[in-house]
Amino acid sequence: MFIINCPYCGERDQSEFSCGGEAHIERPKQPTELSDDQWAEYLFMRKNIKGIQFERWNHAHGCRKWFNVVRDTSNDKIHAVYKMGERPPLK
Amino acid sequence: MLNFNSTIKQKKTYSDIKIEEIEPIIKINLRSKKREFSKKIGKILSILPPTEANTSSGNEDYNLLWLSPDEWLVYSNNKNQSLKEQIDMEDKLFDEISKLNQGAVTNVSDHWVMINFKGHKIYDLLSKSCPFNFNEFKRKKGSVAQTLVNHVDVILHNKYDNELNLFVRRSFSEDLWLWINDSARFI
Repeated sequence: MFIINCPYCGERDQSEFSCGGEAHIERPKQPTELSDDQWAEYLFMRKNIKGIQFERWNHAHGCRKWFNVVRDTSNDKIHAVYKMGERPPLK
Repeated sequence: MLNFNSTIKQKKTYSDIKIEEIEPIIKINLRSKKREFSKKIGKILSILPPTEANTSSGNEDYNLLWLSPDEWLVYSNNKNQSLKEQIDMEDKLFDEISKLNQGAVTNVSDHWVMINFKGHKIYDLLSKSCPFNFNEFKRKKGSVAQTLVNHVDVILHNKYDNELNLFVRRSFSEDLWLWINDSARFI
Protein backbone atom coordinates (compact mmCIF):
# COMPACT_ATOMS: atom_id res chain seq x y z
CA MET A 1 0.00 0.00 0.00
CA PHE A 2 1.22 3.50 -0.77
CA ILE A 3 -0.05 7.05 -1.08
CA ILE A 4 -0.55 8.68 -4.49
CA ASN A 5 -0.81 12.44 -4.86
CA CYS A 6 -3.66 12.87 -7.35
CA PRO A 7 -3.02 16.13 -9.26
CA TYR A 8 -6.70 17.04 -8.82
CA CYS A 9 -7.74 15.71 -5.37
CA GLY A 10 -4.51 15.55 -3.39
CA GLU A 11 -3.01 12.68 -1.43
CA ARG A 12 -5.08 9.51 -1.38
CA ASP A 13 -4.57 5.85 -0.65
CA GLN A 14 -3.53 3.60 -3.51
CA SER A 15 -6.73 1.53 -3.13
CA GLU A 16 -8.69 4.43 -4.69
CA PHE A 17 -6.64 4.21 -7.90
CA SER A 18 -6.19 1.81 -10.74
CA CYS A 19 -3.05 1.49 -12.84
CA GLY A 20 -3.43 1.86 -16.60
CA GLY A 21 0.00 0.53 -17.56
CA GLU A 22 2.94 2.14 -19.29
CA ALA A 23 2.60 5.77 -20.35
CA HIS A 24 3.72 7.70 -23.44
CA ILE A 25 3.12 4.93 -25.97
CA GLU A 26 2.37 6.64 -29.26
CA ARG A 27 -0.14 5.15 -31.64
CA PRO A 28 1.48 4.54 -35.04
CA LYS A 29 0.43 7.16 -37.58
CA GLN A 30 -0.22 4.64 -40.37
CA PRO A 31 -1.39 1.39 -38.73
CA THR A 32 -2.26 -0.13 -42.11
CA GLU A 33 1.39 0.05 -43.21
CA LEU A 34 2.65 -1.95 -40.22
CA SER A 35 3.44 -5.63 -40.26
CA ASP A 36 1.64 -7.92 -37.81
CA ASP A 37 4.76 -8.04 -35.65
CA GLN A 38 5.06 -4.26 -35.50
CA TRP A 39 1.37 -3.92 -34.67
CA ALA A 40 1.65 -6.56 -31.94
CA GLU A 41 4.70 -4.72 -30.59
CA TYR A 42 2.67 -1.52 -30.26
CA LEU A 43 -0.43 -3.24 -28.93
CA PHE A 44 0.89 -5.77 -26.42
CA MET A 45 4.56 -5.38 -25.61
CA ARG A 46 5.28 -3.37 -22.45
CA LYS A 47 8.57 -2.74 -20.66
CA ASN A 48 7.73 -3.90 -17.11
CA ILE A 49 11.15 -2.89 -15.85
CA LYS A 50 12.53 -3.04 -12.34
CA GLY A 51 13.24 0.60 -11.59
CA ILE A 52 11.80 3.91 -12.67
CA GLN A 53 8.79 3.49 -14.91
CA PHE A 54 6.36 6.01 -16.45
CA GLU A 55 2.79 4.89 -15.88
CA ARG A 56 -0.77 6.03 -16.42
CA TRP A 57 -3.05 5.94 -13.38
CA ASN A 58 -6.73 6.62 -12.93
CA HIS A 59 -8.32 7.95 -9.74
CA ALA A 60 -11.12 5.43 -10.21
CA HIS A 61 -12.84 5.93 -6.84
CA GLY A 62 -12.33 9.69 -6.70
CA CYS A 63 -12.35 12.29 -9.47
CA ARG A 64 -12.08 9.59 -12.19
CA LYS A 65 -9.34 11.54 -13.99
CA TRP A 66 -6.33 10.00 -15.71
CA PHE A 67 -2.80 11.24 -14.98
CA ASN A 68 0.81 10.10 -15.23
CA VAL A 69 3.05 8.83 -12.48
CA VAL A 70 6.81 8.25 -12.39
CA ARG A 71 7.19 5.28 -10.07
CA ASP A 72 10.10 3.15 -9.00
CA THR A 73 8.68 -0.35 -9.33
CA SER A 74 11.29 -1.83 -7.02
CA ASN A 75 10.16 0.13 -3.95
CA ASP A 76 6.91 1.89 -5.04
CA LYS A 77 8.48 5.29 -4.47
CA ILE A 78 6.70 7.92 -6.55
CA HIS A 79 9.10 10.46 -8.04
CA ALA A 80 6.62 12.66 -9.87
CA VAL A 81 2.95 13.02 -10.76
CA TYR A 82 1.80 15.07 -13.75
CA LYS A 83 -1.37 15.62 -15.72
CA MET A 84 -2.18 14.10 -19.09
CA GLY A 85 -0.67 16.11 -21.92
CA GLU A 86 2.11 17.54 -19.74
CA ARG A 87 5.75 16.73 -20.39
CA PRO A 88 7.39 14.11 -18.20
CA PRO A 89 9.49 15.86 -15.53
CA LEU A 90 12.34 13.32 -15.62
CA LYS A 91 13.82 11.18 -18.33
CA MET B 1 -38.49 10.82 -12.78
CA LEU B 2 -38.54 11.56 -9.04
CA ASN B 3 -40.53 8.45 -8.35
CA PHE B 4 -38.57 7.79 -5.19
CA ASN B 5 -38.56 4.38 -3.68
CA SER B 6 -36.29 4.25 -0.67
CA THR B 7 -34.24 1.13 -0.14
CA ILE B 8 -33.58 1.86 3.52
CA LYS B 9 -36.77 3.16 5.19
CA GLN B 10 -35.21 3.26 8.65
CA LYS B 11 -33.66 5.60 11.18
CA LYS B 12 -31.06 4.26 13.56
CA THR B 13 -29.59 5.69 16.73
CA TYR B 14 -26.51 4.35 18.46
CA SER B 15 -24.43 5.89 21.22
CA ASP B 16 -23.23 9.19 19.72
CA ILE B 17 -24.34 8.33 16.17
CA LYS B 18 -27.64 8.97 14.40
CA ILE B 19 -28.13 7.65 10.88
CA GLU B 20 -31.04 8.17 8.53
CA GLU B 21 -31.76 8.37 4.85
CA ILE B 22 -32.89 11.80 3.68
CA GLU B 23 -35.38 11.58 0.84
CA PRO B 24 -36.90 12.71 -1.41
CA ILE B 25 -34.47 15.40 -2.50
CA ILE B 26 -33.40 16.32 -6.00
CA LYS B 27 -29.81 15.59 -7.06
CA ILE B 28 -28.41 16.81 -10.35
CA ASN B 29 -25.08 16.04 -11.94
CA LEU B 30 -23.47 18.88 -13.91
CA ARG B 31 -20.59 18.57 -16.35
CA SER B 32 -18.94 21.30 -18.36
CA LYS B 33 -15.61 22.71 -19.45
CA LYS B 34 -17.01 25.98 -20.79
CA ARG B 35 -16.43 29.40 -19.23
CA GLU B 36 -20.02 30.55 -19.55
CA PHE B 37 -21.15 27.59 -17.45
CA SER B 38 -20.27 29.10 -14.06
CA LYS B 39 -22.17 32.30 -14.82
CA LYS B 40 -25.25 30.37 -15.88
CA ILE B 41 -25.22 28.22 -12.76
CA GLY B 42 -24.76 31.36 -10.66
CA LYS B 43 -27.82 32.93 -12.27
CA ILE B 44 -30.06 29.90 -11.87
CA LEU B 45 -29.04 28.60 -8.45
CA SER B 46 -27.47 31.75 -6.97
CA ILE B 47 -24.36 29.68 -6.20
CA LEU B 48 -21.11 29.55 -8.14
CA PRO B 49 -19.62 26.11 -8.79
CA PRO B 50 -16.53 25.65 -6.58
CA THR B 51 -13.28 25.49 -8.54
CA GLU B 52 -11.13 24.41 -5.61
CA ALA B 53 -10.81 20.63 -5.24
CA ASN B 54 -12.67 18.85 -2.43
CA THR B 55 -14.87 21.83 -1.56
CA SER B 56 -18.49 22.84 -1.92
CA SER B 57 -20.59 25.95 -2.08
CA GLY B 58 -24.18 26.40 -1.05
CA ASN B 59 -27.06 28.52 0.10
CA GLU B 60 -30.28 27.85 1.99
CA ASP B 61 -31.78 25.81 -0.82
CA TYR B 62 -28.98 23.99 -2.61
CA ASN B 63 -25.47 22.60 -2.21
CA LEU B 64 -23.01 22.36 -5.05
CA LEU B 65 -20.26 19.78 -4.57
CA TRP B 66 -16.97 19.62 -6.50
CA LEU B 67 -16.51 16.14 -7.94
CA SER B 68 -13.76 16.76 -10.49
CA PRO B 69 -12.45 19.79 -12.43
CA ASP B 70 -15.40 19.55 -14.83
CA GLU B 71 -18.07 17.83 -12.75
CA TRP B 72 -20.33 18.95 -9.90
CA LEU B 73 -23.27 17.56 -7.95
CA VAL B 74 -26.20 19.75 -6.91
CA TYR B 75 -28.53 18.60 -4.17
CA SER B 76 -31.37 20.23 -2.40
CA ASN B 77 -31.48 21.01 1.33
CA ASN B 78 -35.22 21.12 1.35
CA LYS B 79 -37.00 17.82 1.81
CA ASN B 80 -40.35 19.57 1.48
CA GLN B 81 -39.66 21.17 -1.88
CA SER B 82 -42.60 20.45 -4.18
CA LEU B 83 -42.21 18.24 -7.19
CA LYS B 84 -43.09 21.17 -9.44
CA GLU B 85 -40.30 23.32 -7.97
CA GLN B 86 -37.82 20.51 -8.46
CA ILE B 87 -38.84 19.95 -12.06
CA ASP B 88 -38.78 23.68 -12.79
CA MET B 89 -35.23 23.95 -11.47
CA GLU B 90 -34.09 20.98 -13.51
CA ASP B 91 -35.79 22.34 -16.64
CA LYS B 92 -34.10 25.73 -16.19
CA LEU B 93 -30.69 24.08 -15.92
CA PHE B 94 -31.41 21.82 -18.86
CA ASP B 95 -32.62 24.68 -21.08
CA GLU B 96 -29.71 26.97 -20.22
CA ILE B 97 -26.91 24.40 -20.28
CA SER B 98 -27.69 21.17 -22.11
CA LYS B 99 -29.81 22.69 -24.86
CA LEU B 100 -27.24 25.39 -25.58
CA ASN B 101 -24.32 22.92 -25.62
CA GLN B 102 -22.75 24.49 -22.55
CA GLY B 103 -22.46 21.17 -20.75
CA ALA B 104 -24.51 18.24 -19.50
CA VAL B 105 -27.30 18.24 -16.93
CA THR B 106 -28.35 14.83 -15.63
CA ASN B 107 -30.95 14.14 -12.98
CA VAL B 108 -29.41 11.58 -10.63
CA SER B 109 -32.01 11.75 -7.85
CA ASP B 110 -32.74 8.06 -8.12
CA HIS B 111 -29.12 7.12 -8.74
CA TRP B 112 -27.74 8.32 -5.40
CA VAL B 113 -29.11 7.58 -1.95
CA MET B 114 -28.24 10.20 0.65
CA ILE B 115 -27.60 9.05 4.20
CA ASN B 116 -27.21 11.65 6.94
CA PHE B 117 -24.80 10.98 9.82
CA LYS B 118 -24.84 12.96 13.07
CA GLY B 119 -22.79 12.50 16.20
CA HIS B 120 -19.36 12.68 17.73
CA LYS B 121 -18.22 9.28 16.53
CA ILE B 122 -19.18 9.37 12.86
CA TYR B 123 -15.57 9.59 11.74
CA ASP B 124 -14.60 6.69 13.99
CA LEU B 125 -17.32 4.66 12.32
CA LEU B 126 -16.32 5.54 8.75
CA SER B 127 -12.62 5.08 9.49
CA LYS B 128 -13.29 1.44 10.26
CA SER B 129 -13.38 0.70 6.56
CA CYS B 130 -12.27 3.79 4.68
CA PRO B 131 -8.77 4.57 3.37
CA PHE B 132 -9.42 8.34 3.49
CA ASN B 133 -7.65 10.56 6.05
CA PHE B 134 -10.41 12.56 7.76
CA ASN B 135 -8.13 14.92 9.74
CA GLU B 136 -8.52 17.89 7.43
CA PHE B 137 -11.97 16.94 6.17
CA LYS B 138 -13.61 17.12 9.58
CA ARG B 139 -12.06 20.47 10.42
CA LYS B 140 -13.29 22.22 7.29
CA LYS B 141 -17.04 22.75 6.93
CA GLY B 142 -18.19 22.13 3.36
CA SER B 143 -15.41 19.67 2.54
CA VAL B 144 -16.16 17.04 -0.07
CA ALA B 145 -14.45 13.69 -0.56
CA GLN B 146 -15.04 10.86 -2.95
CA THR B 147 -13.68 7.66 -1.57
CA LEU B 148 -14.49 4.09 -0.59
CA VAL B 149 -16.34 2.87 2.47
CA ASN B 150 -16.35 -0.87 2.88
CA HIS B 151 -15.24 -1.11 -0.79
CA VAL B 152 -18.27 0.89 -1.93
CA ASP B 153 -17.88 4.21 -3.80
CA VAL B 154 -19.26 7.13 -1.82
CA ILE B 155 -19.33 10.91 -1.86
CA LEU B 156 -18.97 12.56 1.55
CA HIS B 157 -20.06 16.12 2.31
CA ASN B 158 -19.14 17.72 5.63
CA LYS B 159 -22.29 19.69 6.40
CA TYR B 160 -21.65 20.95 9.93
CA ASP B 161 -19.46 19.93 12.87
CA ASN B 162 -20.10 16.25 13.45
CA GLU B 163 -22.67 16.03 10.69
CA LEU B 164 -22.13 14.75 7.19
CA ASN B 165 -24.10 13.53 4.21
CA LEU B 166 -23.00 10.37 2.47
CA PHE B 167 -24.07 9.59 -1.08
CA VAL B 168 -24.02 5.99 -2.21
CA ARG B 169 -25.29 4.39 -5.39
CA ARG B 170 -28.78 2.95 -4.92
CA SER B 171 -27.74 -0.59 -5.80
CA PHE B 172 -25.05 -0.55 -3.11
CA SER B 173 -27.05 1.33 -0.50
CA GLU B 174 -28.62 -1.63 1.25
CA ASP B 175 -25.31 -3.42 1.54
CA LEU B 176 -23.60 -0.32 2.92
CA TRP B 177 -26.51 0.34 5.27
CA LEU B 178 -26.15 -3.16 6.74
CA TRP B 179 -22.40 -2.68 7.16
CA ILE B 180 -22.89 0.73 8.82
CA ASN B 181 -25.38 -0.63 11.32
CA ASP B 182 -23.30 -3.67 12.03
CA SER B 183 -20.19 -1.57 12.66
CA ALA B 184 -21.95 1.17 14.61
CA ARG B 185 -22.89 -1.33 17.30
CA PHE B 186 -19.24 -1.70 18.28
CA ILE B 187 -18.23 1.98 18.33
